[in-house]
Amino acid sequence: MMESMFSIQELLDFVLLLPLAFSLLAASGFFKGGILHWADRLTATLVALAVWQVVVLFPVDSAIHDGFIYLDALSLWMLLILSLLYVAFSWTSKAYLERDTNIRYGYLRRFSHLEGRFYALSHLFVWTMMLVVLVDNMGLMWVAIEATTLISALLVAFKFTRTSLEAAWKYVMVCTVGICLALLGTILLYDAQLQALGSELALDFAHLAEHGKDLPEGLAKIAFAFLFVGYGTKIGLAPMHAWLPDAHSEAPALTSGLLSGALCICALYVLLRAVIILLPAVGVDFMQSLFLFFGLFTIALAVPFVVVQRDIKRMLAYSSMENFGLMAAGFGLFLPLAAKAALLHMLNHALIKYALFYLAGTIMETYATKNMMRIHGMISQAPRTAFFFLLAIVGILGMPPMGIFFSKFYLLQGFFMGGSPALGVLALALLAGMLIGILYHALRMVGGKPHRKAAGELLGRLDTAVVALLLTVSGVCGALLPELGKFDQLLSEAARIVMKGVA
Amino acid sequence: MMNELVIFLILAVLLQTRIMDLRRSVYCLAFQSGLLACACLIVGLVHGGVHLVPALLTLLIKVVFIPGAILRLIGKLTDEREIVSDINVNYSTLAAAFFLVVGYVLIDGIGAAPASRDVIAASIFMILTGLSLMVMRKRAIMQMCGLITMENGIYLLGLFVTEGLPLIVELGVFLDVLIAVVVLVILTSRMSLSFMTTDTTVMKKLKG
Repeated sequence: MMESMFSIQELLDFVLLLPLAFSLLAASGFFKGGILHWADRLTATLVALAVWQVVVLFPVDSAIHDGFIYLDALSLWMLLILSLLYVAFSWTSKAYLERDTNIRYGYLRRFSHLEGRFYALSHLFVWTMMLVVLVDNMGLMWVAIEATTLISALLVAFKFTRTSLEAAWKYVMVCTVGICLALLGTILLYDAQLQALGSELALDFAHLAEHGKDLPEGLAKIAFAFLFVGYGTKIGLAPMHAWLPDAHSEAPALTSGLLSGALCICALYVLLRAVIILLPAVGVDFMQSLFLFFGLFTIALAVPFVVVQRDIKRMLAYSSMENFGLMAAGFGLFLPLAAKAALLHMLNHALIKYALFYLAGTIMETYATKNMMRIHGMISQAPRTAFFFLLAIVGILGMPPMGIFFSKFYLLQGFFMGGSPALGVLALALLAGMLIGILYHALRMVGGKPHRKAAGELLGRLDTAVVALLLTVSGVCGALLPELGKFDQLLSEAARIVMKGVA
Repeated sequence: MMNELVIFLILAVLLQTRIMDLRRSVYCLAFQSGLLACACLIVGLVHGGVHLVPALLTLLIKVVFIPGAILRLIGKLTDEREIVSDINVNYSTLAAAFFLVVGYVLIDGIGAAPASRDVIAASIFMILTGLSLMVMRKRAIMQMCGLITMENGIYLLGLFVTEGLPLIVELGVFLDVLIAVVVLVILTSRMSLSFMTTDTTVMKKLKG
């Protein structure tokens, strides 16, 4: 292959430089008109190819530590998810931006000079997320996570409508407070390191994970509690989730997809790094109870809000919360099977949720409303949108053809294997409630008699292809996992890294 | 030296809870950050070398740039009058006094070195008071002041528990604070355009 002449380090440098260069050029207005869209696609596709090449070249059970960059199977897995969403973003953005003509929710078409700024911010946002998964140090991870909040806040408020301003303000305030608590936790972790190991390789997580047993127990416990609350806010775990439905529903549809599919799991990734470090000192029981309780509480809280929901994107946001809760609970089982399933669930959820948010944006344009109660008969007015919407809804609920079926199935199997069948039954009951709520809304929208004038079929050829591809990839990854060789090895190794402290 | 600084810091934060005028609140914030820069400088002089960089950055970013940016924003606002609610102010001062006690109780519970006891109690006090200001104040700019107060508290804690974070992380934290203020200033100015006010209680459309 052509790119195999590059080493992994060079490829990673490329991955970290290209989006940054593109966003600087786009912000300065260097690209005009159609070139901007092509430059956007080219950037994301090249980055994804480079990541793919890294996946091919990378020996799964090794780790690369070069300067401030650290890469092992877990971070490569996250990078793979990010790059897939990045490509999906770049190939759907033109259709979204050009369609965004609606008077009430549209904005960009009437201000086409803002397209450059939108692209610049979006690529910068993806770049900061890539930074989160590639840096080697808990402190720098904190810095990168906070940067993602700030940049995505500008994207959430991008339309500067009243509601989007409200959502962005709440988002920055709640997440910054949460993240400040995580900084406190990081400081305490550093204090624990200074007491036990000295100031060498400060906050470097590979170094800390190696000497996890030496950290003082009391301090480690307090530090973990702060880190859990702080990053938990960013994941959207239950009592601290206030920002999540607002930000996800008011952001432009493309940004909502990235927020839900990529950002929250980046915060989960940072929390997992903290778990790997602190597990030997803190002990499984403390962490397990935190993860299981808050994970299941998040699902339980999301269910009633889905059932009574009227806003289509808010419904999807609550469904995201359900999935994050399930992932958190899955990691909290501390079983290799459940960890692997939760990592696979991250990928499946990201792909399907991005498609869903994109389709929800399309539906909002078709009907000029976000209110699901006013949308009926999509199947006759916009058949293609309706078909893919229904397919993606079926996918997110975890029914067989899509990948989420497999990851949810393994996760629930983990509950029953982990000696907590009562919790498994509880999770199943909650998921059933979720399924009834979402399916009720979706079927009402898709079926029935049309009451309202619609803009017709807005889904074009290119974006249909992207959505179909997202759904197919998720299905293939779930169903044919054992046959996928390298891919399966990567996933197993990532799960092994997460579970390092247990065995 | 350090004791006087801590006393002045507590005084500045208590004053912050009493102020209702936007401009004075920003001046008070600048004064508080200036005290933090002095604390940074003292720690820096003891350790020498690169430890002086954070002191300089605190001075530049938190004493000059952030108050400057907020003051410029206040100049552009159309409604400068503060919504007067004495009860709210009295409650937040009382809460702040309570937090000072909480700080000392917590620190004695953990059992820290007596040398840094006052500083750590003061930083816990600052974090909690900043948080309460963010919750209890209605004006966007007042909430920003609360946020910076909380950040300052965490910074002070880091300064005395671990002599600051590693330099590269510290630089990143400063960068984030800088971007945070820029983002909040942009949002606030858009808010005053859309809502004709910067009172955040008018934003209550998103529910459920």
